[in-house]
This record gives sequence, structure tokens and C-alpha cells, in this order.
Amino acid sequence: MSRRKRGAAPGSERFADAPLDGSLLEVTDVKTQFKTPRGLVHAVDGVSFSLERGKTIGIVGESGCGKSVLSRSIMGLLPRNAVRHGSVTFEGREIGKSTGNSMRQYWGTQMAMVFQDPMTSLNPVMRIGNQIMESLRFHFDVTKDYAEETALALLNSVGIPEAERRLREYPHQLSGGMRQRVMIAIALACGPKLLFADEPTTALDVTVQAQILDLLQEQQRERFMAMVLVTHDLGVVAGRTDDIAVMYAGRVVERAPTRSLFEQTRHPYTEALLKSIPKLGQPSHSKLDAIAGRPPDLVKPPRGCKFAARCPYAQPKCITDEPELVDAETPGHAFRCFFPVGSQAGAEALARNLSAGETATGLPVRKEGEAVLTGVTV
Amino acid sequence: MQVIVRRVIQLIVVLVVVTFFTSILTALLPGDPVTTIAPFSSEQDRANIRNQLNLNENIVVRYGKWLGHFMTGDMGREYAGTGVRGQSIWGRIKDSLPRSLLLMLYVQILTLLIAVPLGVYTAYKAGTRLDDLSNGIAFLLLSIPVYVTATLMLLFLSVQRHLLPTEGWVSLGSNPVEHFKHLAMPVLAITIGQVAVYARLLRSDMVATLQEDYILMAKSKGISDRRVLWRHALRPSSLTLLTVAGLNVGQLIGGALIVEVIFHLNGLGFAIGDAINRRQYIALQDYIAVVAIVYVLVNVAVDTLYRVLDPRIRGARIG
Amino acid sequence: MLESADTELTAGSVSAAAAVEEPPDEVFEKRGMGVLAWIGIGWLSLVVLIAILAPVLPLKAPMVGDYLHPKAGLFSPGHLLGSDDSGRDVLSRVVWGARASLLIAVGSIAFGTLIGGFLGLVAGFKGGLTDTVLGAFFNIFLAFPQLVLALTLVAVLAPVKPSGGASSGEWGHRILVVILAVGIVSVPLLGRITRASAISWSQREFVMAARAQGATSRRVMLREVLPNVVPAMASIALLGVAIVLVLEGALAVFGVSIQEPNPSWGNMIYSQLSNLNSAPAVWIVPSVLIFLSVLALNYLGDVVRARFDVRESAL
Repeated sequence: MSRRKRGAAPGSERFADAPLDGSLLEVTDVKTQFKTPRGLVHAVDGVSFSLERGKTIGIVGESGCGKSVLSRSIMGLLPRNAVRHGSVTFEGREIGKSTGNSMRQYWGTQMAMVFQDPMTSLNPVMRIGNQIMESLRFHFDVTKDYAEETALALLNSVGIPEAERRLREYPHQLSGGMRQRVMIAIALACGPKLLFADEPTTALDVTVQAQILDLLQEQQRERFMAMVLVTHDLGVVAGRTDDIAVMYAGRVVERAPTRSLFEQTRHPYTEALLKSIPKLGQPSHSKLDAIAGRPPDLVKPPRGCKFAARCPYAQPKCITDEPELVDAETPGHAFRCFFPVGSQAGAEALARNLSAGETATGLPVRKEGEAVLTGVTV
Repeated sequence: MQVIVRRVIQLIVVLVVVTFFTSILTALLPGDPVTTIAPFSSEQDRANIRNQLNLNENIVVRYGKWLGHFMTGDMGREYAGTGVRGQSIWGRIKDSLPRSLLLMLYVQILTLLIAVPLGVYTAYKAGTRLDDLSNGIAFLLLSIPVYVTATLMLLFLSVQRHLLPTEGWVSLGSNPVEHFKHLAMPVLAITIGQVAVYARLLRSDMVATLQEDYILMAKSKGISDRRVLWRHALRPSSLTLLTVAGLNVGQLIGGALIVEVIFHLNGLGFAIGDAINRRQYIALQDYIAVVAIVYVLVNVAVDTLYRVLDPRIRGARIG
Repeated sequence: MLESADTELTAGSVSAAAAVEEPPDEVFEKRGMGVLAWIGIGWLSLVVLIAILAPVLPLKAPMVGDYLHPKAGLFSPGHLLGSDDSGRDVLSRVVWGARASLLIAVGSIAFGTLIGGFLGLVAGFKGGLTDTVLGAFFNIFLAFPQLVLALTLVAVLAPVKPSGGASSGEWGHRILVVILAVGIVSVPLLGRITRASAISWSQREFVMAARAQGATSRRVMLREVLPNVVPAMASIALLGVAIVLVLEGALAVFGVSIQEPNPSWGNMIYSQLSNLNSAPAVWIVPSVLIFLSVLALNYLGDVVRARFDVRESAL
């Protein structure tokens, strides 16, 4: 088919020499700070991980822990007051120092992002068709007809009925779930090798969430695309990722293959997150375990373990020293804790706190190792 | 459809009220209006004026008769002294209104040509020194009255350097070069202040738009900044621009009237000034009515355009 | 130009707070007024003071010509700010002119603020039929361009004498007429803003609470709503005074402001139009005074708006 105006294949020759094996994305000691009137906000503080082609990594944490900033840092989509350090390599090329203009060749064609809120992330005064076709026409120099056909195919593949009509509609004429499908279509338009999904289902109805996640997974497999799935909900990533990195206060506190993370949880924060997932088996009004307190102030982060203030295992050492990321028994599993869950040290620490009635940071603890919980009924 | 009917009715009501107000203007004149209009005239003239103004009728009949004459263009003549026939009022409106409209059109076009790129660029550069500078300059320009700008231009460009003619109107058809030479100062004098208004508002609106999620989304597609600015950010802001244009029509008309007097452009503003100074209240009523009607119609046009351009409103109305 | 390498389109350069999902409240602390605002207040106080003290200041008579020194330049001996064609002292005329211009500007806005403010407050607070009627009333006046309405009202209420020239009684009469005319024009503008502000405040919890406690309508309106509406009115009134200072000059262009030989800033500018080069000080000095005063008022209006968070949408 020679519908393209020029012979260039989508994907561009620039990236033709990229190796097909090995890791696609290598993130090493990335730090991102924001200059604000209050001081430097250490939003991401030394994060490393790698991602192979076609694989999915889940980035999990509460809001404010830096997970969205991390994905934007990798992509280079940061506001002007942000400072980024560390190394990011994509297909073996260093892009960690690149600014907007040199990143533009990656955006859309090599890596793309699905944003959290489809209500605000689509341009309200542009037709959907044009929003999909825009990047196609910009990057590949294709004819309008070709772009339109591609857009139609994309809409069909993300499961939008009556795609032909939708092309000419505006975002406000679509439901939230439909809009998120359109966002996915836009992100997929130029065939990126890496997709960032930044809380793709948070703004959607529960009934639609699973559909969108299934769609992302299906597209990812079909296109052999790597994906970074950012979410606050461990339940979302459970069956859909190869690896998971749990973030807290701008740091990775536990990183493991998905199975290993769930079965051999090591970090107390991960454990707390797991307890806060509503389970289908539970009676519908049973209490959910919310984590007491809030994440620390990222302008003046505490000295020792960042989670100590909320951790039922916390010991005096946790307040003064910060634990390094250490490897667990399972390959690929690492965590950042002196008294890990499921270890001798952890069990002893917890027992000590229980008998004292509070942790080293003064957090009251009761019964089976849970901090005094703010009950959330679902 | 219903919407259109309702709006047309609204428009008619406004026009009726506005013209009613202008038609009874002479009733506000202190003392006997006829004496004020024609203090040294014969009994015959006084009776004619009384007749022309329908002063012997009640207000409603007076309005009805005035409206009849106004709509048919049969507005009579200016009073020009005992026994002398003055200029035809309709003739003067016919000549001067297009000039005023053309003047305003030039100002509007030039304003947008300068203000839009300026607003977009300063929004793009928000927070930089360049942005601060242009903001400061705009604030200074906002505080200079049109007539001061016009007078300064007259002094420096005409009186001292003789670069441009000081006054008069040359039609576009007869001599395009002279046409623009004569209009350069009047148009610029109004435009300077207008650019400041538009650029400032467009800038602050665009700065807000640039914070929107869909701008980050557009940027993440890897398209050029230029495209993000002009295709994604300007389009929603252009509705604001239109709102500003609507709110600013009054300013624009005011500015046009003032420069017409200063540069003797013989448009409607000049006619109004002339009528006031020669106490041609009969003509003044009609001129004011025309200005008010133009004002109302332009506002309706802006409003309609708004509805056509904003797909959200349009969708809500149709769907 | 847009693609220069070091600049980068940033969505959210101000919103680091949003990026870290935790708004630092202290950032939005209200700052002090700043030097510029104080300079503005100083300038306006000076102008007002001079205008008030005009009769006791050691000035030349504003309407008496010094035929030995016509068209004196700036800083001439005896005429600090020059003199006009017939040798009248520009300094004296701008000081006396300030009386007229400021009286008109402040008087008409005071009129508009009182009447418009009252009507707007009632309309916004009561709602219903009262609001509809007052709203319609405002809209009729808003259907005219402001300059045209003011011009027409002045022209009709105080017709220009065919002979030109004015007696001393004419001065006071014309000022009253101009104040009335411009005041009428400003009523719907100020009324509409007050109404919008009153509507939003009338729906706040503390107003509801006061009503629920059985306070009379009038008491709630004056004690609870009015004090909160005042900042919006004040910032608009400051801008209004600036607008009228400019408008006075526009009326002068049409020859309906203060009549010669009495001075106002506006008629000083316009009186020289046919003869710009002969004694430029005559029109440049009042132009500068208008510019500086308007600048100060605009700036202070902005400061008030920023401090009290008067939303633009209320305009």
C-alpha cells in the first residue's frame, strides 16, 4: 500500500538500529525536584528499575508518593520548575538529560501516555478524529485519508461502536469510559514501544475500570508493547503486571515480580497497602484497613525510614538510619526495611511494639500488628 | 428553533426600548425644547419644529410617528436657521455610518493581528522577564486615553514631521494610498489601547489553558510547541477573545467617535459632535438611535458567533 | 522563534503543587501591598490635596491672561509649567482644573456607587421579581455605549450656549449635570457587579445561618452581605474613577465638558487641538496628570482585587 506521501515506514529509520533484545527502558537513580516557594520538593528520590520489551511494570503507592511524577520524569514531561537528575536509557540511548525539544522524537512514536482523567485530558473543542489523527499526520507525513482510516481502525480496536460517527464528535458527547478508550487510541496511534498508563481507571466508574484495564492489557500483548502502569490500587495491578515497584515518599520501598510481592511481602508499607484492598470474599460492610496518618512532607523528608512514623514495626533504628534496598531470596525481589515482614527480626520488632502498646515513633499499636486503624466501611 | 425565536423577540424588545429612549430625548431638554433648538427663529419655523418632533402628541404617539419616519428613512432635515433648508439627516447617516463602521473594522482587525500573537507568545513565556516587561507596558498603555494618544501622534507625525495628513476622509475607491494615510493615525490611536486590553486578557486566559491536562496530553503526542499553542491552547481561549470583543464594542465605538472628531473624519461620531455643538437635537436623536442599534446588533452578532463556535454550547442546544 | 532550544512548553509551570499532589497552603499567603501601591496612594493624595487647597495656594489667577508672557515654555520664570496663547498660567489652570476633573470623577462614581450599589444589593439579595425588574432596568442602560449615553445626557441636560463662554454659575451647574449624567451611566455597571457579588454571598452558610436565627432581611443584608460585597465595589469604584477621569476628556472633545474659560484637564487638552505646537505644555501637562492618576487608580484597583480575591467573572 503506497498511500503514504513518502516512503518512510512508521517507526522511523532513526530507531531502526535499536537492539531487539535486552531491556527497553533502564531507569537509574532518577531524582526529580520541584522548586517551590516553600523550598525544594523531593518528589522522586533515587528510583531505579528496568523494563523489558513487551513487559509490564506496576508502580504502586498512595497519592503524593511521586509515582505520577516518576512516569513524567521518565518521559521528560515536567513543568519548568522541575529539576531532574539520574539516568534514563531507552533502547540503550541516554534520554535522561534530554529536554522537551529532543524528547519530541520519542513522544508519540516511541513512548506515549494515557492520562488519569479522560474528562480533562481531551481537548474539549477539537473533534475526536482530529485529536487521533493529529500525531499520525505530524509524525508520519501521511495523507488525510490514510490518517482517517487509521483513526477509524484504532477506534474499532479500542472497542468504540459506531467509530465513523464518533470521529466527528467532540469529547463532551462521549461517556467517561468511551473517552478513556479514545485516549488509549490516541496513545496507540503512532505505535509506541512503551506506554505509560497514569492511573488510567481512577476517574472511571467501577464497572468500566476492568474493561479499560483488559483493553490496555490486550493492546499491550497484541502490539508487544511495554507498559508502565501507575496506580494507587494494588488490586488493579494484581493479575496484570510482570513486576511491581511500591513507592513511598519518592522512593521505591519494595520491588518484586508480581507473584513474589503478593506471596512474600517484605515491606510493612506493602503489607498495609495489601490490607487496604477490598476483597470479594469479605462481607460487604466489613472494615477496611486504612493506613493511619499521611505521607511525610517532601520538602523536609524525615531522616530515617520515611515510613517509620506510620509503621507498626518501627524501632529506634528506623528513626535514625535509612535502610538500603536489599535483595530478598527470590531473584528480582528487593526491599528497603530493617525489620521486614515475615522475618525473625520483623516478628520480634512487632512483638516488642505490641507489648509496649506503641512503636518507637509513638504510634499506638494493638492486637495483630495493626496500627490503630481508622476504619473505612465499604 | 425556539431559541432563535426567543432571541429575536428579545432583540426586538431591546431595540424598541432603546429607540423609545432616544426618541424622547428632546423631552429632557430644559424649558421649551423648541426654544433651545431654534432660539431665534420665526413662528413658522417653530411650528415646523414642533410638528417634526410631534411635541403636541403624547409620548407613545410621538414614538410611533418617530419610528415610522425613522424606519422609512424619512427623517427630515437639520434645522439651519430661519427659512433655510438644512442637510438631510438620512443622507448624513447614509454617508457617515459606513465610514465609522470601516474605521472600527480596521481597528478590530489590526488589534487582533497584533494582540493574538502577543498574547499567545507572552502566555508561552509566562513568568519570564519578557512576559513581565510586556505586561508592564500593556498596563501603562491601558492608562493612556485615546485622545491623548491621538494628540501625541498628531503633534509628532503631522504637525512636526508632516508625515501624515492631519484630518479628513479619503474613500478607499478614490485613492487607496491616501485612504490609508488618512486613517493610519486614527486607527493606530484606538488600536494601541485595544491591543493592551486584548493581549492582557488573552495572556491570562492562555496561561490558565496551558495548565490544562489536555495541553500536557497534546504535548505528550510529540507535536511541536507551536502546534500545541495554536491548535490546542488558542482555540478554547479564542472564545474568551470573543467575549472580550463583545464587552469591548462600547469602548471601540467610543474610541471611534472620539478620533472622528479629532481627525475630522466625518463619520457618525463627527456628526454627533457637530449636532451637539450646533444644537441639532432632532438629528442627534436619530444619530444616537443608529449608534445604539449598531451596538445592540454587534452584541447579538458576537453572542451568536459564540454559540456557533463553542461545540459545548452548540452540542447542548442541539443535542 | 517558538522553538528555541532552552524554552520548553510547560503545562503547569506554576502547579508544582498539583504535580506532587499536595498543595502547600502557605504559598498563597497574602503579601503586603508593595511600594508601587504606596506611590500610587501618595500621588493621588497629592492631587486631591492640591485640588482642595487651590484657593489658598500661591497661584496666579487661572482665568486671567498675562499678555506679556504668552506661550511660555516649561520652567519659565513666573510660569513654572508654561502659559497658554493668552498667557494664562498652566500650573494654576491644572490645579483649578483638577478641582473640576476630580469633582466630576469622584462625584459621579459616588453617585453610581450609592444608587447602583443599593439597587444591585437589593436585586442580588432579594432575587425574584425585584431582581428581574432591576436587571431589565440595568440592561436598558447597558444597551448604549457608555460614552454615547453620557454625551447625550450632558448635551440634552445642559445644552451648549451658542455664544460659548460661561459665567461662574455655569461652572457649578455644568459640573452637577456632568456628575448626574456620568453617574447615571455608571449606575447599571456598578449595580450589575454588586448584584453578582451579592448573589454569591447571599448563598453562603453564614448568611443562611443568620436568616435561620430569625434576623430581619434588612439586618442580614446590611450586616452580613454588604460588608462582603464592599471589596468588589471598592475595586470597581477605583477603576470607575479612572474611567471617568478619562471620560471627562472625551466629553471635552465633544465640547460638552467644563466650558472655557474655566479649566478642566480635559478641556485644556482639547482647547489646543487646532494649535498643538504653539504651546504644547498646555495640553501635555494635563495629559500627563490624567495618565499618572489613571495609572495609579488602575493599579490600586488591581491591588484591591488581588487582596480580596474579587473574581474577574463578577465583572
